[in-house]
Amino acid sequence: MPPVVIEVDLLPVASYVPKYGRVILRARENDLRMKVDYIFKIKKKLVRILVVEDDAPLSSFLRKGLEAEHHAVDIAQDGEQGRSMAMGIDYDLVVLDLNLPGVDGLSVLRSLRQRKAHLPVMILTARTRVEDRVQCLDSGADDYLVKPFSFLELSARARALLRRSHSPSESVLTVRDLNMNRVERKVERAGRPIELTTKEFALLEYMMRNAGRRLTRAMIIEHVWNMTFDSTTNVVDVYINYLRRKVDDGFPTSLIHTVRGVGYQLSADGAMA
Amino acid sequence: MSASAHSLSRLPRDQELLGDLLHSLSQPLTSLRCSLELSIDEVTEQQQQMVSAALQQTETVIGMIQLMREYLDAEQSAGQHAVALMPVLRSMAEDLSSIAALRNIRLRVVGTCAVRMRVAEPRLRLALQYLILAMIERQPAGSEITLLVAEGPAGAVLRAQSERRFVGPGKTPDNRQSKRDSVGATMRRVRLAIAGRVLETAGAALALDDGAPGFVLRIPRPNAACASHLF
Repeated sequence: MPPVVIEVDLLPVASYVPKYGRVILRARENDLRMKVDYIFKIKKKLVRILVVEDDAPLSSFLRKGLEAEHHAVDIAQDGEQGRSMAMGIDYDLVVLDLNLPGVDGLSVLRSLRQRKAHLPVMILTARTRVEDRVQCLDSGADDYLVKPFSFLELSARARALLRRSHSPSESVLTVRDLNMNRVERKVERAGRPIELTTKEFALLEYMMRNAGRRLTRAMIIEHVWNMTFDSTTNVVDVYINYLRRKVDDGFPTSLIHTVRGVGYQLSADGAMA
Repeated sequence: MSASAHSLSRLPRDQELLGDLLHSLSQPLTSLRCSLELSIDEVTEQQQQMVSAALQQTETVIGMIQLMREYLDAEQSAGQHAVALMPVLRSMAEDLSSIAALRNIRLRVVGTCAVRMRVAEPRLRLALQYLILAMIERQPAGSEITLLVAEGPAGAVLRAQSERRFVGPGKTPDNRQSKRDSVGATMRRVRLAIAGRVLETAGAALALDDGAPGFVLRIPRPNAACASHLF
């Protein structure tokens, strides 16, 4: 069998591994299939994130957590190094601390915006004032996370930024046999319609958007109720129970799970009810 | 310099020091929280309970630090901000009504006004959240909270009042004096203090009644010659 020659545009991969540039593969079909599989695995794994954070323990936890989610993570420990790496390498996301030795985070952000207008940047800061948030967003930050943050929150927001930069917002969300049409505001499971109140709909939408991920009560109340978390209220637990009754009751598999000590998770790998 | 003048001049410096301290605390607390979150899946089931308890305690400490920061930030000038009260009040009441409904408490807004306040919108939301939530927490089940808004030449008044909807023994909030209740009560007091500072910095006057769970918020119109005939 003559070799099948196919040109494969590796630019998407090249953006993660710049030294490869544009590559043409020449191989037998079987070899090629293997290589293309391998490339897709690399591409899937290597969403590349730069973390610019001078606090070594924190940056190491961020690296550990993000790598566990199959991202490739580089760490820069000061503003100058961060700016240089962000300019020279194609990242999908930059997580940037504001308070850095040498060049501060805001200067790094402004430099980045002049050269890489569309690169998503998430700011980490201990500053809580509204004015600080406004200044960051005006300087071109895409999101803003206040310390002490939860890693789960950072991870969820990173995904949202990556999603926003790669694909338009989906109008239909699907997890296993559960479907949500965000435009028509309809939900059904296994073809059976489910009636939800406005808050239940918003809660389920947030959980479906983050399917497979753990969500803390604080994350849920801040996103769904748009309020500061108050540990004395059990509103999240009550609404999760409402949702469970409507989404899981009567189905052989439960989709909504309690994660002890953390919060809740909507998962396609449902336990048998 | 008199003793009172001396103590006044120390106040901003003390606030700055406290702010720096809270700022410094945020870094190790972030590491602590992230390490606990990431390790919860890597330990045995028995250890998971300990990590989970440690995580909850850490989050309580973070909540208190967050409150301290809000308290320090509450008096910051709003700069050029001017936000209309009604849309923020309506949206907050809508969000909180789902929480009130859990205890069969009805929350409604009556009346309207066009008054604008010199405060950033997130800060106004926060103040209203703390005021209304504290009121919900202190109401017996089955009652109704009315947020009554009225406007006159000198400004607007927001009056929060409650009444029982059902005759009979409504379920009252649990007043057991456990440590958790005590922490909750302290946090509620701090939240009310934050709300008061935010609103007073915005030029409004807040009156809380210790005996009853309601409140009255008076918002003078900027440059109103005399607010007294409204209030």
